[in-house]
Amino acid sequence: MPMQRAAASSCVQVSRRVALKAIGTGIGAVVALPWLSDAGLLAFARIQETNGPPKLRVLSPPQFEALEVLVDAIIPADDRSPGAKQARVADYVDLLLSENDRELTLQWIGGLAALDAEATLRFQAPFSRLGADHVDAILQSISHNEKAPRTALETFFVMAKEATIRGYYTSATGIHEELRYKGNQFLREFVGCETEDGKDCPHCGQKHIQL
Amino acid sequence: MQDDPTLNVNLTRALGESRRLADSIKPGSDRWDVIVVGSGAAGGMAAFQLAMAGVKVLLLEAGRMIDVRTEYRTMEWPYASNRRGRLPPGERPIAVAEYSFLDRPYGSNPAFKKHTKVLSYAGNQFTRNWVVDERQHPTTGTPYSWVRARILGGKTNFWGRGALRYGPLQFGAASRDGFDVDWPISYDDVKPYYDKVDVLLGCSGTNEGLIQVPDGVFQRPSKLNCVEVAFKRAIAKMGRHYIPGRAGVTTDGVLNNKYRARCAGRGRCGRGCDIQAAFHSPTALIYPARDSGNVTVRPYSIVSEVLLGEASNRASGVRVIDANTNEVLDFKAPVVVLGAGTLDTTRILLNSRSTRHPSGLGNSSGLLGCYLSEHLMGIRGSGYIPARIGTETTLDDGRPVSPYIPRFRNLTDRHPDFIRGYHFQGGGGCAEYPTMAHEIAGYGIAFKSSVRRHYPALISLGGFGEVLPRKENRVTLDATVKDAWGIPVLRFDYKFGDNELKMARDMADSIEEMLAAAHAEDIKIEREPLPPGWSIHEIGTARMGDDPRTSVTDRFCRLHDAKNVYIADAAPFVCGGTQNTTWSILALAWRTIDFLKERLRAGDA
Repeated sequence: MPMQRAAASSCVQVSRRVALKAIGTGIGAVVALPWLSDAGLLAFARIQETNGPPKLRVLSPPQFEALEVLVDAIIPADDRSPGAKQARVADYVDLLLSENDRELTLQWIGGLAALDAEATLRFQAPFSRLGADHVDAILQSISHNEKAPRTALETFFVMAKEATIRGYYTSATGIHEELRYKGNQFLREFVGCETEDGKDCPHCGQKHIQL
Repeated sequence: MQDDPTLNVNLTRALGESRRLADSIKPGSDRWDVIVVGSGAAGGMAAFQLAMAGVKVLLLEAGRMIDVRTEYRTMEWPYASNRRGRLPPGERPIAVAEYSFLDRPYGSNPAFKKHTKVLSYAGNQFTRNWVVDERQHPTTGTPYSWVRARILGGKTNFWGRGALRYGPLQFGAASRDGFDVDWPISYDDVKPYYDKVDVLLGCSGTNEGLIQVPDGVFQRPSKLNCVEVAFKRAIAKMGRHYIPGRAGVTTDGVLNNKYRARCAGRGRCGRGCDIQAAFHSPTALIYPARDSGNVTVRPYSIVSEVLLGEASNRASGVRVIDANTNEVLDFKAPVVVLGAGTLDTTRILLNSRSTRHPSGLGNSSGLLGCYLSEHLMGIRGSGYIPARIGTETTLDDGRPVSPYIPRFRNLTDRHPDFIRGYHFQGGGGCAEYPTMAHEIAGYGIAFKSSVRRHYPALISLGGFGEVLPRKENRVTLDATVKDAWGIPVLRFDYKFGDNELKMARDMADSIEEMLAAAHAEDIKIEREPLPPGWSIHEIGTARMGDDPRTSVTDRFCRLHDAKNVYIADAAPFVCGGTQNTTWSILALAWRTIDFLKERLRAGDA
C-alpha cells in the first residue's frame, strides 16, 4: 500500500516539525533521524537539550570524567553513531549507583581508583587524561580474561561493560542511531521475510521455495 | 528520588472507582443469581457468558479496577526513564536464583529487609502496580515462583498471548502411555468451545493439520522473519515443524466489542495492549458483560472461603474480606463459580472448613491440592543464522508472539527415556534490545561493529515440557503462616521428577541439534531448568473425574461435594500437555457455564 505509507509518512513529518518547534530543536534532527518515531525524537531532542554538565548524585566530577572515558572506550563513536559518552551512559550509571547498595558504589569508585592507579603507574597520568592509545592499552590488558576475570581491574571491566551495554542500547542513540531498530510503530501488517509472501528476499538472500 | 515519568501513571480514576464500588456494594444491596470469584480469563469468561444469558452476576475481584486508558504503556521507550526499566528504590522482583536458595516466605526473607515491596519475577516497570507484594502474600514449603496479579483482569493484563489448544494427545494421554488417568472428557467435547473462543476473542494462527496442536478458527497469522525462515527450512529436513505463533490477539478485528481494535503490529503485548487487540479480560469480557446490566463488579473483595448452607451440601455464598477496610462481608447467592486461578481457588476451598468438610470443601476424596502440574521451562538454545550476519536492520518483531515448534516426541515413536513431550517457542531477528551484546567479547569499535553485525542474525528458542501430574506434587494450607488479611497461605510440596529431568536433557540436545542443522554459529545451550512455577501454567489441584473417590469435580467442573459450586479456572485440568493454558481455561470455562445455564433453566442449579 505505497499510497497509504506516503500519507502516513507525511503526517509524521508534520507532527515532528510541530513537536520539535515546540521544544526548540532544529529541524535538522528530523532529517538526520528519519527512523525515529515522534516519541523517540522528542526524547532524543530532550536529551540533546540537556547535554550540559550533569547533576551528579554519587560520583565526583573527576570520577565521572574517568567513567565517561571508560564507557566511551567500551562503545565509542564511529561513522554510524555516537558512542556511550554522548548517549549519556555515565549519567545512567550515576543514577544506578545512587539507588543501590553502598557496596555497589564502593565497587565502582574502587574500580575507577584502580584504573587511575594503573594509568598513573604505566603512563604517569590519571585515566581521564590519557590519550586514546594509552586508554586502549589499558583496556586491552584488563579485558583479557573477560569470561573468567581474575584481578580486581578485570572484574571491574566486566561490570563496567555490562552497565555500558545496558545503558547504551537502551538509549535513544543506541536504539535509533546505532541499531536503527525499526519496530514499535503502527503497522498495517507485519511483513517478515519476503519469502513468506512468495518472493525472493532482499534482506537475507533466501529464495522462495514451496516446502 | 529521581523524577521518573514512567512511574507517574495516573491511577486516580481507577482508585476512585474502586473505592466507590466497594463502598456501595454490600451484602443485601442487590440480589444475584451467581457469585463469580476472580476476574481473569476464568472469571471474565464465566461472568460474560452468564450476563449474556440474562443471569445476574456478582463478580468479585481481590484487587482494584484498572484504567485501561493509562495503565497499558505499550509503546513506551526504555529511555523514557534513565532507570531503563529498573524498578524504583525500595521495590524489587525476586531474582531467578533467589527462588531456589532463599528461605520461604520470600517476602520476609532478610535479603529484602531494605525493600518496601517485593514482587515475583514477573514484576517490572509495566506490571508493578498489578502483581502482588510477596510480603502481603507469603507462601511456604518448597521453592515455587508463583505469579499473582490482584487487579481487574488479573494476569490477562500481561499474559504471554500464546493461544494453543489441548488436543486428543492431552485429553487421552493416559491411554497412550499408561501413566495416570485420561480426562473424563475428550477433545471432541471441548473443540466447539475452542472454536467459539477463537471467534469471540480473536486468535491469530495458521492451520497446520497437526494432531499435537489442533487447528482453530484463525485470523490473519504472523509471518516468520528471515532467520526464522532459515531455521524452518533446516528443521523441515528433520521432519519437524516451525509454525507461526498462535496468539490470543485479534489481527482482523472482532464483532460486537466496542472496546477493541485489531493488532497494529507493535509487539510488546506483555505490557498490556493499549488498543486492546490482545485479549485482556476487562475489555474483551468484563466491560461488555457489565454493559448488559447484569454484572456487578466489586473490587477489593478477597474471598477467604465458600460458605456452606447448614441444611444441605450446598454453598450459600462466599466470605469476603475487604482488602482496604478488613471488613468481613458474607455475600449470598444460589450458585458460586470460582475463577481465582488454580492455586487461589484451591486455597479458598481448602480454607472452606466446616464440621462436614473438616479438610476443606471439595476434599472428600483427600485429593484437593494434589496433582499440581505446570511446564518445565529454562532449557533454551541460541545461535546466529549466517544469512543475516552483517546485513542491515529489518523490522522483525512487529507481531504478538514468536513462532513455535510443536511437540515432536512420543507422537508415533516412543522415546526410551521419558513419556509425554515438550515444545519450543522463540524466534529471532532484530529486537529493541540486543541481548547478545552481553555475549560478545571485547570493546571499542570492534565490539560495537560485532554487535551490529550479529544483531539481525540471532535466533533463540526456549522449551516448555509437560510436568507429569503426580499426587505427591501438592499444596496444603500452612498451619501457622497467614497472609496480610489473616487467611492461611499455601504450603508447596512440589518438585520436578525423573521424567521431567530426563525430558529436559533431551530438550537441550534436540535444540542444539536443530540449531546445528540450521548451521547456526556460536550455538549456546542452557541446560538448567528455571525454578518450579516459572511457566505460570499451574493446573490440576482440583482435578475432574467421574468418580468422587478419585476426583474433586465432575466432568463439568462442579464439585462432587457441593452441587452449586463450580470451578472456571484450570484447577480441574487432569494434565496439561505442553500447551500454554489460557485458551483452554477460556474454552473449559465457557463449557462449564453452558452446563450451569442449563441447570439454571431447569431450576436445578
